[in-house]
Amino acid sequence: MLFKKKKKVTETEDKDLPQSYWAYVKRQFRKNKRALYSLYIILFLAVIAIFADFIANDKPLMCKYEGKTYFPVFREYGVKAGLVDWQPELQNAQWYDLEYESAIWAPIPYRNTTIDYNNAPFVGPFEKQDVKSGRWHHLLGTNKIGNDVMACMIHGTRIAFLVGIVSMGIAFVIGIFFGAVAGFFGDDQVKATRGKVLMNILAFPFAIFYFGVFFDKSLWLGILGFIAVFIIANLLAKLFDFIPYMKDKIAVPLDLAITRFIEVVVSVPVLILVLSVVAVFPPSIFLVMGIIGLVRWTGIARFIRAELLRVRSLEYVEAAYALGFPRWRILLKHAIPNALAPVFIAVAFGIAAAILIESFLSFLGFGIPIELNTWGQLLTQSREAPEAWWLAIFPGFAIFITVTLFNLIGEGLTDAIDPRLKQ
Amino acid sequence: MFRYILKRILIFIPTLLVISIVIFMLGVYAPGDPVINLTAQSGGESMDDKKAGEESYIKKWKELGLNLPTFYLTLSSQADCDTLYRIHRKAHRETLAALTTKFGNWDQVDAYYKKIQSFENTVLNFTPDSASTKPWGRLRDNVGNLYLKSEPKSIENTLSKLDGYVGKINDTLNILSPGLTALNNGYGEVVDKSTTWKNYVPALNWYGLNNRYHKWISRFMVGDFGISYQDRKPISKKIGDNIFWTMLISIISIILTYILAVPLGVFSAVKKGTTADSVTTTFLFILYSLPNFWIATLLIIFLCNPQYLHWFPAFGVGTEAAEGKSMIAALGVRIHHLILPLFCWTYGSLAFLSRQMRGGMLGVLRQDYIRTARAKGLPENKVIWKHAFRNSLLPVITIFANIFPLMISGSVIIEVIFTIPGMGRMLVSAMTAQDFPVVFTIVMMVAVLTMIGYLIADVLYAFVDPRITYSSKK
Repeated sequence: MLFKKKKKVTETEDKDLPQSYWAYVKRQFRKNKRALYSLYIILFLAVIAIFADFIANDKPLMCKYEGKTYFPVFREYGVKAGLVDWQPELQNAQWYDLEYESAIWAPIPYRNTTIDYNNAPFVGPFEKQDVKSGRWHHLLGTNKIGNDVMACMIHGTRIAFLVGIVSMGIAFVIGIFFGAVAGFFGDDQVKATRGKVLMNILAFPFAIFYFGVFFDKSLWLGILGFIAVFIIANLLAKLFDFIPYMKDKIAVPLDLAITRFIEVVVSVPVLILVLSVVAVFPPSIFLVMGIIGLVRWTGIARFIRAELLRVRSLEYVEAAYALGFPRWRILLKHAIPNALAPVFIAVAFGIAAAILIESFLSFLGFGIPIELNTWGQLLTQSREAPEAWWLAIFPGFAIFITVTLFNLIGEGLTDAIDPRLKQ
Repeated sequence: MFRYILKRILIFIPTLLVISIVIFMLGVYAPGDPVINLTAQSGGESMDDKKAGEESYIKKWKELGLNLPTFYLTLSSQADCDTLYRIHRKAHRETLAALTTKFGNWDQVDAYYKKIQSFENTVLNFTPDSASTKPWGRLRDNVGNLYLKSEPKSIENTLSKLDGYVGKINDTLNILSPGLTALNNGYGEVVDKSTTWKNYVPALNWYGLNNRYHKWISRFMVGDFGISYQDRKPISKKIGDNIFWTMLISIISIILTYILAVPLGVFSAVKKGTTADSVTTTFLFILYSLPNFWIATLLIIFLCNPQYLHWFPAFGVGTEAAEGKSMIAALGVRIHHLILPLFCWTYGSLAFLSRQMRGGMLGVLRQDYIRTARAKGLPENKVIWKHAFRNSLLPVITIFANIFPLMISGSVIIEVIFTIPGMGRMLVSAMTAQDFPVVFTIVMMVAVLTMIGYLIADVLYAFVDPRITYSSKK
């Protein structure tokens, strides 16, 4: 009886709820408890990643030293940003050895780079550790050179999330651009004079050249140079208007060109290519993020293309055309926002894959600087010391959980968004 | 159908072209000098040693075909030199390129470079008296540094240092100081006549077919992959030595995957909603999400170690252990070694395939013709295997496309963890040793095989599902 009543209430509630597409997707997603809880745990992990410096740090959060109060962890941010310098008395401070009047340490008083010589190599979590007090106990043990595994795990969360989110951010931008252009304009929506088409094709090598020239100075200047070439080329194209043949308008097959390009990128063996690029250049986390982003955007582009092919013939887009809005405005303000939902499926799965690739590279010892002690690096260290079971279990478990959670969110999104399941 | 295949092949060509160019450029810009990697360096200090070293360097440099332009064409600026590739030392090329970018006048930079060379020769040919041996030695050691300096400040520093040494040498015949003056003047010219604007004017250079990329790719196509930097063996021989275990394990693993995954997927789809189904589905999901390098690490630590359980050998394929044993005993040894790698190799694709199979099967079981088949009284077995199964085969084929590249690249990480002498391990060790010819050969092979895999999958789709036609009529 009670059950029935409750069900009825939710049904009526359903009707009163906002009917927009996003609200619908949100509601559908909430119904999938597994995906919802995965999202909560991921948010929790994201908090750990963001505040890693405050959770595990080798400097006190706040300390009183020789009568003055300091906030070393905050100060470190300023120093890294180049805004301030360390106070002269703390310039080369041995933070663990200072005689504090009082000090508040981070919950885990170590960093991923801190080396505790007294507790190396491989001191387990339950073994007797050579530490001042229980407060300084290495909760998950140490590795060969004496890094605190718990601290490495926490900072590893940050690196995993950074790689996952930044690389998918890059993929998102590239994918949305190509997918939207292909899906919205198709093969027949963009018409240009022959002169313009010719000039734009000719401008391409010049754009690359000037990108290269200015890239030596800065990345943004390079991009500016790239764009400037196309602007000039389009202005110059006006000159062709004097030739009748060049003045004819032709349809630019953008969709065809981009679909072919996507097919080319999809057939690239990602893992092997990433491995060989990373092996050539010196280790850098940014290189890893960049290269993953550059090869993993096709899923996003395909989703948004398919969605926009549908959206562009809907009434509200036609209405926007009828109202005389410019095409780019319709695309950016009306079409893309309504086509974004499926893209998040690709993003969720993409983040999982990127994190897996990062830990894979770390495990093999390519691409990620060795001193970072990421999850994959910790796991690989366990191979030389089988007795250090904590190095085999915890980092691997972290990779497993994070990847699984993102996959579950991806599945939840698929269920929520896939129109085939709409009632 | 034929037209479709042709179309696919036409797409693969640009793909392979792009991949090959990317890989080739990676090799060109990779740090380190391949010639130095391949020539034994004689550590001699004397004039003859240096000359002999230089000669053998140039010989190897020509042998590797590095004296050719890199690509069919280059897009550079007016300032850059279009025949820079003719300078044999990679480090020198880099310095000269940096100098031209800075000052934009190749002619002067070239003259300056020639003056460094002639001054170095003068210094080496100089016979100092006993009093000035020491400053001469310092001079000799420091001249060469100029080849590596492109920053104006450090060049000036070195020049003034050289000036100091020359001043200390008892140079009665006045051989050294004119050379140094010429060098100083040469550098002065570079600075004075700088034409930086040339950097902003593009120049397109065409080199024709006689270039490094063309030679590399045409040799690659006929199976001549070059030689490895590590042991100077031909790469094709190295691949031949390593491919056996990778292929063997891949093939066994693929067979196992299909034998187990297909029935499992069908079973859990047919029993949808039952406890058996939810148990299988959850189990498969967990299997699917477990990173195989974690599981492999755990297995090797906890099952192959005297400290915990020592059920399996920790590494290798048992070549030594199997030696001198009878066929059956040797087979037993091999199997004992291969069980864990096979498991780690297989479970991921097994879980993936079962999940795909279940999804495909569920989609088919909802169809009307299945209901019709049941309604007309066909036995359930026949409904499932004859009507539903055939129509849910598409995902099975998709995975088939991945088999070919997998055979070569193998599961890189599994081979590394279990030290199996296969392609994947060869790839990783080549990467660690910066042995780029090997790396790029394997990457190219994987790329080619990936394409072939896709093509075969596409053709198989059409065979399984007659509704899929690739002809243009549709």
